[in-house]
Amino acid sequence: MIATAASNRRWKRIFLIAGAILAAYALLAPLTSLDAAQSANIPLLADKFWLRIATSIAMFVVMATAWNIIGGITGYAAFGNVAFFGIGAYTTGMLVAKAKWPFLLALPLAPVVAAAFAILVGLPLLRLRGHYFAVASLGVGVAVGELVQNIDYRGQPVFGGASGLFLPIFRIANRDLFFFYLMSAAAVLSIAVTWWVLRSRFGYGLIAIRENEEAASVLGVNTTAYKVASFGLAAALTGLAGGIFSQWNVFVNQDNVFPIEYNVQMILMALLGGTGTVFGPAAGAVLLYLLIQFLGGTLPISFDIPFVSTDARPIVAQIILGLLLIVVVIFVPRGVIDFFGGRTRLSLSYLRRSLRETSL
Amino acid sequence: MSAAAQLELRGVTKRFGGVAAVDGVNFEIAKGDIVGIIGPNGAGKTTLLNCISGVYHLDGGDIRWEGASIAGMAPHRIASLGIGRTFQIVKPFGSMTARENVAIGALFGSAHMRRGMKGAFALADEVLELVGLKAKADQPVSALTIPDRKRLEVARAVATRPQLLLLDEVMAGLNNVEIDEALEMVRSVHASGVTVLLIEHVMRVIVGVCRRAIVLDSGRVLAEGEPEVVLRDERVIEAYLGERYAKRLKSS
Repeated sequence: MIATAASNRRWKRIFLIAGAILAAYALLAPLTSLDAAQSANIPLLADKFWLRIATSIAMFVVMATAWNIIGGITGYAAFGNVAFFGIGAYTTGMLVAKAKWPFLLALPLAPVVAAAFAILVGLPLLRLRGHYFAVASLGVGVAVGELVQNIDYRGQPVFGGASGLFLPIFRIANRDLFFFYLMSAAAVLSIAVTWWVLRSRFGYGLIAIRENEEAASVLGVNTTAYKVASFGLAAALTGLAGGIFSQWNVFVNQDNVFPIEYNVQMILMALLGGTGTVFGPAAGAVLLYLLIQFLGGTLPISFDIPFVSTDARPIVAQIILGLLLIVVVIFVPRGVIDFFGGRTRLSLSYLRRSLRETSL
Repeated sequence: MSAAAQLELRGVTKRFGGVAAVDGVNFEIAKGDIVGIIGPNGAGKTTLLNCISGVYHLDGGDIRWEGASIAGMAPHRIASLGIGRTFQIVKPFGSMTARENVAIGALFGSAHMRRGMKGAFALADEVLELVGLKAKADQPVSALTIPDRKRLEVARAVATRPQLLLLDEVMAGLNNVEIDEALEMVRSVHASGVTVLLIEHVMRVIVGVCRRAIVLDSGRVLAEGEPEVVLRDERVIEAYLGERYAKRLKSS
């Protein structure tokens, strides 16, 4: 079928409507009383477990969408963005746990501190290109986590040390629901920011940097300022997610806010969904998060992977994720978002064409 | 030093390791002039352009733009002063359409003439028409032919609304008809009040449009003057064709 402009528009409208209905259900379903919903056996979101999953998905939507700003739009493959998540979490965590600030006052400082840190390390780091930047940013990501856990002052750990930080529980009716909405708001904000970036002079400058940094600079793009601003913007959004996470999870330590695998996951989500697009990373985050949980066996809908014992399951899940990355990069280089909106359709010839384009 | 000089180079030097690619170059360009730089391969022509546009830092000397030094400035600041350039090996923004490529130039470029998104795209359309790419405005760069990509490279630089345009071998690799079209393009850009400094190997271009030619050899200015005169200069022939050929040419 030849896709005409009219059918393009029709498909786009269908997907928009379907997306809006899905989003409305996801956002409104939890509003129905949890007990009533459970006794009525309404599936998915009207349930504590699924609410936790949905909040986590929203968190990864923020991280993948934020990564897309520096990695997808600016073209700088940052492998250490988890540092900003952790810094955001520790900023809010320290202010609430140690300085006894109210959470809602401490939260806005999470993105501010994360962005300030990104600007500080970005100035030297963003002079590096390609693999050098990727490796250096990975180093920063690891180092920050270690530093936060190990900095002592007069024999006392400054940031809670190995035992982490415990935050007082945030007192509000329907806490789970509150954090689900807060995290969803952060997700919507990061998507809205991306939408704005892609339509602004700033965004055109960033894409020019991605496509050819030297050409961008002689056309008048202040490449250093733009790259650092892009890095800072990504860090601010990631830090915001971290800040919300710290109060939602109540407990913060190196393991849960500086996990190395988040670095890989957020990049994989953006790649899977489609880098450089507005909705791609979000779509990738939903898909990949569910897949990871499914393979890990934490979802109630699950199945036994044949010939694999329960103990080996996480390892097999890792292998499957690795294979998925390879397949996505080779066959769907523009991400699954490419199939939405009726521009292209998943077909054998599409895969063949992609293979030809991505292989040297 | 005349007061009218728009661009002034004084002892500009750039070294790579022990090699001085540009070695104490002096010249000046008056506003509204159109000047060609010629010279054999490796003479330092592109390096000189990279020095003026701020891509390279100088190892010595000074570059003055309307009386003030621009040596050591970042490329984007030099661009915002009104100095635009093209690259010999074209550097288009691959994921964008031709129109978007040119709009980037219009969105950034000269600081005092910056405009909003709408204005930038309107200017992009004007410039695309000027260089003859209007029909291909919405095509991705990958769909453009080599001559079209060269046009795009010029269009993008023109869209920055420069007062001085540095062109690095925009005619190289074009056939005779395409060169004529490109010549026309350069003439019309110049006619709109832009000072032009162009590097070219095609002598027809130098003779055809330039009022003045500067010959570089081994990083130094070998000769300077009217194109026809310069091209008959013995030292220039020697630099291009070797000492023996020059002697033979003289004795014949």
